[in-house]
Amino acid sequence: MDLLNFRKPQRYIGNEWNVTKKDHQGRISVALIYPNLYEVGMSNVGLRIIYGALNSYDNIVCERSFLPGEDMALAIKNGEFDLFSLETKTALKKFDCLAFNLSSELNYTNFLNILSYSGVSLIACQRETQIVLAGAISNPEPLSEFVDVFFIGEFEAVIDDFVSVLSRYSAKNERLKALSEIAGFYVPKFYAVDFDGKNYIVKKNYQKANLPIKRVYVKDLNTSFYPGHWVTPNTAITHDRAQVEISRGCPNRCTFCQAQAVYHPYRERSPQRVMELIKEIYAQTGYENFSFLSLSASDYSRIEELIDLALDFFRDKQIGLSLPSLRIGDIVGKLYTKLSSIKKTSLTLAVEAADDCLRQRLNKKIDIDTLFDAAHIVKALGVKNIKTYFMFGFPDEPSDNVLRIAEFIKKLGQETHLNINASINAFIPKPFSVWENVEMADLGYLNENKNQLLQLIPRSKKRVLGVANIEQSILEAVLARGDRALSKVLMIAHKKGDNNDGDWACFSWKLWQDSFSQAGIDYEKYLKVNTENFPWSFIEVR
Amino acid sequence: MQIIKYPITVKINKSGEMIYFSQLDMVRILERALRRSGLPFYTTKGFTPRVKISFSGGLKLGVEGDIEVTFYFDELITVDRLLDRLSSQLPIGLKLIPV
Ligand code: SF4
Repeated sequence: MDLLNFRKPQRYIGNEWNVTKKDHQGRISVALIYPNLYEVGMSNVGLRIIYGALNSYDNIVCERSFLPGEDMALAIKNGEFDLFSLETKTALKKFDCLAFNLSSELNYTNFLNILSYSGVSLIACQRETQIVLAGAISNPEPLSEFVDVFFIGEFEAVIDDFVSVLSRYSAKNERLKALSEIAGFYVPKFYAVDFDGKNYIVKKNYQKANLPIKRVYVKDLNTSFYPGHWVTPNTAITHDRAQVEISRGCPNRCTFCQAQAVYHPYRERSPQRVMELIKEIYAQTGYENFSFLSLSASDYSRIEELIDLALDFFRDKQIGLSLPSLRIGDIVGKLYTKLSSIKKTSLTLAVEAADDCLRQRLNKKIDIDTLFDAAHIVKALGVKNIKTYFMFGFPDEPSDNVLRIAEFIKKLGQETHLNINASINAFIPKPFSVWENVEMADLGYLNENKNQLLQLIPRSKKRVLGVANIEQSILEAVLARGDRALSKVLMIAHKKGDNNDGDWACFSWKLWQDSFSQAGIDYEKYLKVNTENFPWSFIEVR
Repeated sequence: MQIIKYPITVKINKSGEMIYFSQLDMVRILERALRRSGLPFYTTKGFTPRVKISFSGGLKLGVEGDIEVTFYFDELITVDRLLDRLSSQLPIGLKLIPV
């Protein structure tokens, strides 16, 4: 295989700074796979935490793999070779365990594609020795036929147990049994699920398996593993910066938000520990840009102390810092003078709704008036771009909702004179969010609103507008809310084509419509709320 | 105020796996290596300072060979010190050669 025959060969080299290469001989091998392209997968922090943590065990060799580009996928389908790991170019089918990050529903078909590019059987019970593990998922049910074992929660918290089970047992079924007894692990074949028209009823058929499945999380971020040996790509990736997590979870409770629930409870890493990590990661990588990772940086109770600690270091080394999701009040208030001396800051505003009343119902706290009052300060700060988020399709939203969004975006541009990047999405009632039992708006309504938005906000040089593909959002909602019956639909869709559903250009709604009808499943029923519980109700996240 | 910067020009030999990386990637790789080396690198002034590295000539993707690279520093440093500190920070397939 000559990598020069493929576009962006850099994706497949695996010679990044701080990469771990070990001999497979005598070790348990785990392939850690993000089911999207290298650039996307390498931007995921969870993947890096697990990569570093697993490789810290001497008897484990953990290597990465990603979705190959279309051209390489074609070569694989032509039988030229099987999909491999980056580090040692070992065929994925040779690994003891394939571990997938399935945080995005639109990557589900990529996950199946990767199994088939690897020459691995898609159906869990047809694989004799290899274990397919999936994590970062909220509702595992639609994938229950393909995945041997799911993990619900934060993997760092159980990694010792996981490694010891793999070390102690070698037969697949023994490994699965032992895992199913550890909190957070869910082995679908040990449970039978019935639906009586109103209720999903889950019963164990292996008595020692957990039920309910309780989400597991790290208690203390100051002692939990975080990768100082940050793998540093030699080529551009989507978020090309070192990300240092300052907190996990969120103290707010916006009604539409899934992240708040599945990263519960809110925990902070101390400024001292964050600073230690910054210094270590900089020494190991030489990264020119850092960002503080957090669902809501403004809620970090010691943000001023942290900025004070970090400022000299960043200034001295000329490192850029981006602070996501800061409150305007923080930026224009105390932090203003401090932040302005760092190379650059970017500003993200998750406004979600332009209507005050709707925003209150969403429980979204944001100080919009402060923003307009202080537009000149924001500009003086050296901020060039404002990224802003909105949603539509909420239950009982005002009839002029999208008009209000359009006016808000225009006003933001006029008053700040900054580049505006607005991202507008359809509301999806995700499992475990406060509004998990709210009906999703239908395709027609959402598309109508979308078209209205596109007309109301013409693109300009200073304004980039991204409005969700509605059909994609519907699919995302169905896969997020689905039950075990959806495995059949996923299989049919996979056989119809190996499109990357996360990519607008590849996504085909027709393919999915056909797949649902071939499976005899009305997808709309998953968007309704006429059941008493949900397919995911046997999982406790908080 | 006049800003003084001290240039050093060396050759870098590109071989093995590094032939897959473009000129744009090389900028990224060398800047980060330089930052890791602890040498007193020079940055451009202004709102978005950047480490200054200039190239003369280039290599096509997939081709082994030498490129000429100039690094800039805030103080005078010797070629030997550059070679000593930077070489260990370069990936396998990039080799510094004094000119
Ligand atoms: S939307 Fe943001 S602020 Fe609201 S609960 Fe979710 S993470 Fe927290």
